Amino acid sequence: MFPGTQAVLMEEGLSPLPEAPAADPLEHLVRRIRSGEVEAFEDLMARTEGRILALAWRMLGDRHLAEDAAQETYLRVFRSLNSFRLGERFEAWLIRIAVNVCCDLARKRGPAPAPVESLETLEGDAVPMGAEEAVLFHQRRTLVRQAVAALPPAERAALVLRDLEGLSTEEAARILGVRPVTVRSQAASARAKVQAFCARRMKPTPGGRP
Amino acid sequence: MTTHVLDQLPLWVGGDLEAAEMAAVDRHMEGCPTCRAASEDLRASQAWTQEAMASPFGAADHARLRRAVMDRVVVESRPRPRSPRMRPSLLAAAAALLLASLTWALHQPRPATPVPVTGPAVPAPAPQDPKPAPPLPHPAFARVAPAPARAEPPTTPTGPTRIEFQTADPTIRIIWLAQAKPLPETESSTEKP
Repeated sequence: MFPGTQAVLMEEGLSPLPEAPAADPLEHLVRRIRSGEVEAFEDLMARTEGRILALAWRMLGDRHLAEDAAQETYLRVFRSLNSFRLGERFEAWLIRIAVNVCCDLARKRGPAPAPVESLETLEGDAVPMGAEEAVLFHQRRTLVRQAVAALPPAERAALVLRDLEGLSTEEAARILGVRPVTVRSQAASARAKVQAFCARRMKPTPGGRP
Repeated sequence: MTTHVLDQLPLWVGGDLEAAEMAAVDRHMEGCPTCRAASEDLRASQAWTQEAMASPFGAADHARLRRAVMDRVVVESRPRPRSPRMRPSLLAAAAALLLASLTWALHQPRPATPVPVTGPAVPAPAPQDPKPAPPLPHPAFARVAPAPARAEPPTTPTGPTRIEFQTADPTIRIIWLAQAKPLPETESSTEKP
């Protein structure tokens, strides 16, 4: 719409027709950044950083490493933003870069250490619960995190993308560069392993069998 | 009762079975408490995984990440100052100028060796005379006009010596009039700085 057109329509008592919704809500930010408006990158981050930080932490199991991965992800995104093809889903492209960064960092780090529960990680528990319930919750969470940390990298990635990030099998396969049937198999194997790991170590509880 | 579907349950909880397979598993579990219990365990494990792997990051972590990234992004987006020695445009201009100069010089007629003058000796120009010598044509096409014969060197300045050069082009003839000036009589002992 030309500048001033909207003002003219308002003077005439007419409202402009709503523009067709963009296919990707982040695409207009990408266009602004590409045109040199660097500040728009901050808006782009504000809308996506929570997901990227969580994804990195789930893939790596370490807070500091996850922060490094998220930072490296956004720098790679900024440097290669011109190679992003408009019309594609930006967030899928962003997640693909984040997964690649996490895989690089995981390779450099070597085998993932068993997660160490600390008071810092307990600070996020906002739900009030009784002492026994809190112990059970803490025990369960520790077990699950250890089980996820023990997974082979490919199965962990498939589990994270399918069950925690909520991506479809096809999306996860595209991001990981494998066939959908491979993602299905890896995610299923990861689910079975996590359940078996917890069942072997967890005391029987009234609310669940594992 | 059909055979157990325990192997298919990890796919079933993820919705990764074909529709027909999903329906078959559902039918089997209606009459099989073992498989039903196993499916409940898997569903509970899946829910616990989502609970345990919830993001530990808060708003302060997000803001810190954003600040760190934006600091670098702003620096990287600034145009970098170029070193004057490394400016490619200047280098290209200098190279082009040099090439043009060389091309022009190569297409100029070659300077010929001076033809011996068959007339009276032409006095050498005074060293302080800044006049540049005219270009000399090819010796094969040069001839010198006869100069007026002089029996003895004149004591007073006479007319200029006329030297003609015929260039390769018959329509172009170069005439050089050389006027020798007598050197001033100098007495260095009497001069004061």
